[in-house]
Amino acid sequence: MGWKEGEVEKKSDSPIFRNKEKVLVTCSRRITYRYRHLMLNVVSLLPHCKKDSKVESKESKGATLNELVELRNCSSCLFFECRKQKDLYLWMAKSPSGPSVKFLVNAVHTMEELKLTGNHLKGSRPILTFSTNFDKEPHWKLLKEIIMQIFGTPKNHRKAKPFHDHAFVFSIVDNHIWFRNYQISVPHNETDKVDRRGLDKMTLVEVGPRFCLNPIKIFGGSFGGPTLYENPFYVSPNQIRALEKRKKAGKYAKKVKAKTRRKRHEMSNPLEPDEFADMWRE
Amino acid sequence: MVAFKETELLLDGETMMDDDVEDIDDEELVSESESEPEEVALAEPAKNAVYNKEGLLEKLDDISWPENVEWIHKLTVDHDQENEIDANDDLARELAFYTQALDGTHQAFEKLQPMGIPFLRPPDYYAEMVKSDTHMLKIKGKLLTKKKKMEEAEERKKAREAKKIAKEVQALKTKERAKRKKEEIESVKKWRKQRQQSGFARGKDDEVDSSFDAEMDFERTKKRRPGVAPGDRSGGLARKRGNEKGRKKREFRDTKFGHGGRKGMRKQNTVETTNDFRGFNVGGMSKNKMRKGRVMQKEARA
Repeated sequence: MGWKEGEVEKKSDSPIFRNKEKVLVTCSRRITYRYRHLMLNVVSLLPHCKKDSKVESKESKGATLNELVELRNCSSCLFFECRKQKDLYLWMAKSPSGPSVKFLVNAVHTMEELKLTGNHLKGSRPILTFSTNFDKEPHWKLLKEIIMQIFGTPKNHRKAKPFHDHAFVFSIVDNHIWFRNYQISVPHNETDKVDRRGLDKMTLVEVGPRFCLNPIKIFGGSFGGPTLYENPFYVSPNQIRALEKRKKAGKYAKKVKAKTRRKRHEMSNPLEPDEFADMWRE
Repeated sequence: MVAFKETELLLDGETMMDDDVEDIDDEELVSESESEPEEVALAEPAKNAVYNKEGLLEKLDDISWPENVEWIHKLTVDHDQENEIDANDDLARELAFYTQALDGTHQAFEKLQPMGIPFLRPPDYYAEMVKSDTHMLKIKGKLLTKKKKMEEAEERKKAREAKKIAKEVQALKTKERAKRKKEEIESVKKWRKQRQQSGFARGKDDEVDSSFDAEMDFERTKKRRPGVAPGDRSGGLARKRGNEKGRKKREFRDTKFGHGGRKGMRKQNTVETTNDFRGFNVGGMSKNKMRKGRVMQKEARA
């Protein structure tokens, strides 16, 4: 479990709550550079994570990954699975018996992009902002809880730095979860006395990375188990590609058909002989 | 895992007929949600799409932290998203995210300040940052070049505009000058005609003369250019070309050969030098030049 109560389990108002969340971050083999950099960015954002080596994808994922998580004494896992070197799937799972979610990741922009100009302390605790539509449906609520536990840095973690200088944004737009990471910057001379005035002058600069998650399924167990939720709008990228190809394949057949149709039409409606056809014959 | 595979097959069968929208936009996402027959798409998969609400809520209770956990552990803020944001409108979407983050930070700040927790990083706190210094230098360089390019483009535009205006002004000026010249010539011609008509009367035609001269004087004194000699036809421009080099050469020659130049570079047989015998031996002309040896011997003996 991610939390430990104090020795005596009284119904007191303040049991000693210690956030002992540890996240295992791994990826599958044959992951491309973009997604590998994304994974490394995520590793640098979460000081309470442990990065592990690549996992073979041929074996049954569930068992090996669960074992790995147990071995490393972690309470959750972020698994980046890259298929066909094109599609990235992200698994978020709570160990040992927690639910797990599989997402399809799009719109990846890593921190190395030069247009994302912000910077923040490595290991400072982020402020997690969620949009209120996370509280509307049970599956969003569950996702919100999982995200909060995985992406929130524990308070007294060894590698955590004291200040709060960045904020995560998790927002639901078009049934996708969009992630942004902003640096909180205040003009230089104001940092000591951050009061109302300073607050107004506060600006946010994007640090990165950026990605968009499309939830596919939520399982009751870790990397498996009964399906609790399926996204009715989800279409796998393979199907999309197949449809595109089929559309293109139809092009030639249509062209041939159009040609034969034209010929038939011409034969059935012969043109009148042109009077002026011979005029310019040399 | 078995359950997973079955549902996937079913999903395949159902969604085969649906239309997909793929925005091949290099910026943003490949949207997997169906677009046009959305009503149809929703109806069919919804039947097969598992939605176990109780199970979800049960799991939620399992994993969530106890109720009385202080906010400081969670650090979550909720932001109310008023309108529906269109995922394809980049600007609006990013703006919405920005406002969400800003609002969240404000709320967090308000909660943290009474707790006395330091909020922002003081400028003298140096620690490892999530992006390396070299990377930040690259970013800075890029921003600076972008700024420079923009400024240069602006300047170029301004210069072009200024040039256009200057050209127009110049054209106007030349036209005016030409007009004035023509007028002057006309007035001279008129004056001559007048003189002719009045039979070249040698008397002082005050009105005509004075008017004429007055105009000319007025004309000439209009533009007094300080560095230009009055008789200078080029208007001071001739001096400008190759000034230093010519000066140096002239000075050198002057010092070497005296003011006036080397004798050798001048012409020898001119009008002045024809009857000029200054440099010749007077009285020694009768001697035969061919007998130079004997003369020298005689002179040597005597």
